[in-house]
Amino acid sequence: MIFVILRVMALGVWRDRAGLAMTFALPPLVFIVFASVFSAGASGKLDVKAGIVDQTASADSRRLSLALNHQLGGRLATYPNRAALRDALANGRVDAGLVIAGDLGRDPTPATVLIHPGRRAAGEVLTAQVKAVAEHALPDMMMEREIVRLGPLLGLSEEQLDRLSSRPGLAPAPPLVGQEVLSGGDPIVIYYAGAVSILFLLFTAMQGAMSLIDERRAGLRLRLGLSAGGVAPLLFGRMLWLTALGVAQALVLFIVAAILYRIPLVQSLAPWTLTAIAAAAASGGIALALAAACPTREQAQTLSTFVVLILAAIGGSMAPRFLMPAPLQALGWLTPHAWVIDAYQTLLWRRIIDAQVLAAWTALAAFASAGFVIALVLESRRRL
Amino acid sequence: MAAEPPEIVLRILDARRRYAQAGRQVAAKAALDGVSLQVSVGEIYALIGRNGAGKSTLAKAAIGALALQSGTVRVLGGDPAKDRAIAGAIGVAPQEIALYAHLTVAENLHAFATLAGVRSGRAEAVTAAMAATACTSRADTRIDQLSGGWRRRANLAAAIVHRPRFLVLDEPTEGLDTQTRMALRRLILDLKAEGTAILLISHDADDVRALADRVGVLEAGRLIAEGSPADLMAQAFGGRQDLVVRLNGPAGAAEKVLRKPGLTPSEDGLLWSGLALDAPALASQLDRALRKLGVAAAEISVRQPGLDALIAWACNEAASRDRTSQGAAA
Repeated sequence: MIFVILRVMALGVWRDRAGLAMTFALPPLVFIVFASVFSAGASGKLDVKAGIVDQTASADSRRLSLALNHQLGGRLATYPNRAALRDALANGRVDAGLVIAGDLGRDPTPATVLIHPGRRAAGEVLTAQVKAVAEHALPDMMMEREIVRLGPLLGLSEEQLDRLSSRPGLAPAPPLVGQEVLSGGDPIVIYYAGAVSILFLLFTAMQGAMSLIDERRAGLRLRLGLSAGGVAPLLFGRMLWLTALGVAQALVLFIVAAILYRIPLVQSLAPWTLTAIAAAAASGGIALALAAACPTREQAQTLSTFVVLILAAIGGSMAPRFLMPAPLQALGWLTPHAWVIDAYQTLLWRRIIDAQVLAAWTALAAFASAGFVIALVLESRRRL
Repeated sequence: MAAEPPEIVLRILDARRRYAQAGRQVAAKAALDGVSLQVSVGEIYALIGRNGAGKSTLAKAAIGALALQSGTVRVLGGDPAKDRAIAGAIGVAPQEIALYAHLTVAENLHAFATLAGVRSGRAEAVTAAMAATACTSRADTRIDQLSGGWRRRANLAAAIVHRPRFLVLDEPTEGLDTQTRMALRRLILDLKAEGTAILLISHDADDVRALADRVGVLEAGRLIAEGSPADLMAQAFGGRQDLVVRLNGPAGAAEKVLRKPGLTPSEDGLLWSGLALDAPALASQLDRALRKLGVAAAEISVRQPGLDALIAWACNEAASRDRTSQGAAA
């Protein structure tokens, strides 16, 4: 009996090719968008559009401008004067601006980064990019600045300063601190894989659970009500299907994440599977309870949209939880989203199964059980 | 409760159910108001009545899908709402096509046979149900790709795939062409001959005349008349038949001739009808009289009175009984 319902629902999805594509293609697409945005931010690869005003037109300033344009991927626009650059900033044509007003090799602060108050991060990025470009592309100029700065302290004459600063092949001192990027999944990518996964699990589960309402409307419920096992196997079959569909949907999304962002899915496949099952079952339970509580599809659509969006907002599917105020973060634990995201992050980023993961599995199982029991009670009491 | 005689399949005793209406000051509306009826083995019981009279509510109560506020429903001596074995002996073909639209006819029948608890011989049961409803040629066609007539057949096939002993059919021939309608009537009569007790809800007078052993007229949740179709028709119309005259244009001078035997016009004045004794003879007289006046009738026909007329008669009778009993009480 359970298998019959599983088969009926599976054929329903399989034969609705448009729905099938939406179920499996849309979540990875949305994930890629989120991951691209937030992963780039975390890795410092922000695509800043910048403007430059070169008031000196010196050889060094031209070299810096060319190198910076290359570093920014061609997103450096040249403006004739400071006022034009300010105007471009105010209108949003550029995110930050650079004004070169003095001798880059000799003046103490020859360049200024103009920052729009609404785009401080872009200003910081441009400042860092200018420094990095100067270090790597204009090492002789940077050395000249050091010699000019240290010359008076060392008691060097003007002639000595000129000779030293014009000596070819001089390079600045090697940096004090180097960088080593460790291997392993990007936490923000893992975060959004979990966040987008649970968001779409609930959407998909709600669509599937609404077949309960459609059956009432089509008179099928009258016929199903006469089935030998009663309501429980009919609901349990649905629960199993929603769980299986949810796991498949999450798997597709995480495979995309593993391919594009090297999330260590294969290395943590067993605990990932348990988390995916728990998450899909929780979504199925919540969706069945909502569908059972609503007399009409219209009510269910409205209620489910409200519930799915509120849970997503509070639970961290829309914006990272660590950016939320503490009370909202605490409230997030009342949603399955927070537990799902936390479990995936612990498993795939930290690669451990700790008490927090066990708590997440327990919480998700509780969501699933509570939802199923509520749906069962409501459907058993329902008389047509 | 005493054990049911073996021939009684459905017994409803004093069924009552009220629905709360919008607004607290308004009294709850009675959907079922003390209905009692029974259907025996191999009997077709037709429920007729106006829209909202309580027919569908009674049908739902009969299969245990609707909780009564008082009264009892017994199918084969058991409560269909509580006893799964009893529920498994019931088949239902709702007015809507209660099938999974994305499944084929055969897939639907397999699913419903399994859900009804058919364990062995499921494939044979599906084949038999399709053969009985002449659906075999459409076995592998999805429901959403079938025409209305084939859907009705498949809907009925799903109701009988587990060979129920009690069958509820809600408007089984609605919207069908004459040929399909006749085929489904034959199938329903075959089921009756096999001993299936059938509760039939219909607005179709021809269906009721052709199929029903007994008819119950429901009005405002009350069973106001009951009997065989022939008896009820005789009581209601006493051998009178419906005489219908369709004119090509305004009656004009013919109006007096048409009104004389009691015919009344439709809103546009082109269709005149009324009940009459010896209607065929009257039809001939009218034909001659109209010709004499130079009025051409498009059609003069004699029909059996429809269900609407029967329901209207039953309602008048019930109102008359109510007035009499109120007068006696006063």
